[in-house]
Amino acid sequence: MRLFTSLAIAYAALSRSWLRSLLTTLGVLIGVAAVVVVTALGTGARERVGSQIESMGTNLLFVWSQPIARSGLRVASFGLTDGDAQAIRREAPAAALVATYCDQKLSVVSAYGNERTDVVGVDSHYLGARRFEVQGGRMWTPSEELMKAKVVLIGQTAIEKLFPGRDPVGEYIRIGKHPFRVIGTLKPKGQSPFEDQDDRILMPIGSWRARVDPTMAGKVELILVSAQSASQVEPAKRQIEAILRQRHRIQEDEENDFAVHSQESFQRGQEAVYGVLSLLLLTVAAISLMVGGVGVMNIMLVSVTERTREIGVRMAIGARRLDIQLQFLAESVALTSFGGILGVGLAAVVVWGLKAWLGWSMRMSGSSVLLALTTSLAIGLVFGFLPARRAANLDPIEALRHE
Amino acid sequence: MALIELSKVGKDYASGPEVVRALKEVDLEIGAGEFVAVIGASGSGKSTLMNILGCLDRPTRGSYRLAGVDVSGRSADARAIVRNRLIGFVFQGFNLLPRTTALENVELPLVYRGVSARARRRRAIAALAKVGLADRLGHSPAQLSGGQQQRVAIARALVTDPPLVLADEPTGNLDTRTSYEVLALLQALVRDRGLTVVLVTHEPDIAACASRVVTVRDGRIQADERTAEPTRAARLLEELGGAPE
Repeated sequence: MRLFTSLAIAYAALSRSWLRSLLTTLGVLIGVAAVVVVTALGTGARERVGSQIESMGTNLLFVWSQPIARSGLRVASFGLTDGDAQAIRREAPAAALVATYCDQKLSVVSAYGNERTDVVGVDSHYLGARRFEVQGGRMWTPSEELMKAKVVLIGQTAIEKLFPGRDPVGEYIRIGKHPFRVIGTLKPKGQSPFEDQDDRILMPIGSWRARVDPTMAGKVELILVSAQSASQVEPAKRQIEAILRQRHRIQEDEENDFAVHSQESFQRGQEAVYGVLSLLLLTVAAISLMVGGVGVMNIMLVSVTERTREIGVRMAIGARRLDIQLQFLAESVALTSFGGILGVGLAAVVVWGLKAWLGWSMRMSGSSVLLALTTSLAIGLVFGFLPARRAANLDPIEALRHE
Repeated sequence: MALIELSKVGKDYASGPEVVRALKEVDLEIGAGEFVAVIGASGSGKSTLMNILGCLDRPTRGSYRLAGVDVSGRSADARAIVRNRLIGFVFQGFNLLPRTTALENVELPLVYRGVSARARRRRAIAALAKVGLADRLGHSPAQLSGGQQQRVAIARALVTDPPLVLADEPTGNLDTRTSYEVLALLQALVRDRGLTVVLVTHEPDIAACASRVVTVRDGRIQADERTAEPTRAARLLEELGGAPE
């Protein structure tokens, strides 16, 4: 009851000088808005990265070759070969699909243009592992793969670059000296955390090694393994490591000349980056809230001095010290929570604007709004305490005499 | 039983290394329904006396019984409750809250008493009607004349129905006619409702309206005289002639 009365008195006092109230609370307003926007940004980014990594495929493991140190020297490894991939396919029960992969950014010439794009050589398992689907035309046949035929599948972004507004199936492109026939198009997949997954041209890995980069005879840059299920990712990783250590004749005490990364480890890496960024921005927002709180305290102290006589009158007619303290606490809390509410409103507008105009993926979570409002309330309590106590400890006689 | 009983009340102030004895051995009894004027030069100790009577300050020595209760040793909060329940204050500078309507100003003591909003409103309207301001409820102090402001302050002092009203130079900021109006109002309240009024003034004609005049000098009560025939402020108003405000 008494608290409610204090709030009513506080509201009356604040609305009597609403412009000053608004300016006072501006720091808190901006701080709260910053917190909510930053959190929305973080939540949105995390969700986007999650869905992007999801779009790459599921339960993927990436095997790269990696230079190793022997007798203190970094020696290029012998790399990975078709044989390694076949061994994994044969001997790792946890692996569902095993694909080989080479790629290079190259100039590709069509009848309509000359553009750089990602030229990728893969075996037929790749499309399944990475969940690429053929949209128009057809996939290459096993005999075409075997024969190192000069055929390609083309992604949507590459189509836009090389065959703007045209159906590329049946057309020819030239890579280096060699002409390739476009036999099919890929369904769009969108952005991965690393690249535009549609800006690529796929061809049989044999054709790639023969015509795009002849130095790579028999080698692969990357072996892509899709595990049987999420729970099989770790067993698959162990099996791959065992198989490759054996095949590459690596001794007990030597380190691997290859590296196996899981899709999850990318995700964790990305999340760590966003976590650090969010923390940084939140620190800035917290400082802004702090400064806002100090601003509120400053104005409350001024207000106590200005209204010394009023405090004296209130005391003379029967206000107890707690009444006065509650009145000024209620004022500062009302100020900051008012700022908090406006801040959430501002944040909603900013988030909406960034989404609409810049296409940022953001999501305002209820918990962040709640957190921001609670924080602004707490700031009012903390920074209002000192001015309120100063008001409550005034001597009524002195206060009444105050000019 | 007297409403106010001061016995051997003294008050010291520390002024640097020296101790100023603002009040020395004051004995004073004021009965219910008395209209007492306290006069004295500045520095005589009359303000200190009023602060003690109003429970704004505690005596250093002696005891103060208000309505039979010893209030001299009470804590700040206990004295706040005593002020709220038993005393109404009227100040020289009116001391109304600015940018606050007359009604809200009068409601204020009831807020601290914890009276419900509806009852507050009803009692504040009644108190304002009693001082003749029923048509000024929504006016802020800036929209009221000095006399009207002081009447709002009197309504605020009366709204809790206290037995005692302390008025500290209530007419100091008012012209003669308005002073008489305020005095007539106080006299009527004493006569009709048995209110006790203690009024500080330094104007003899104002003091002449009281039924008893206490003169304070050098921290002591120098004289305490009953006025045989107090001046009726209402008559003074008639003598001034002209239409009332």
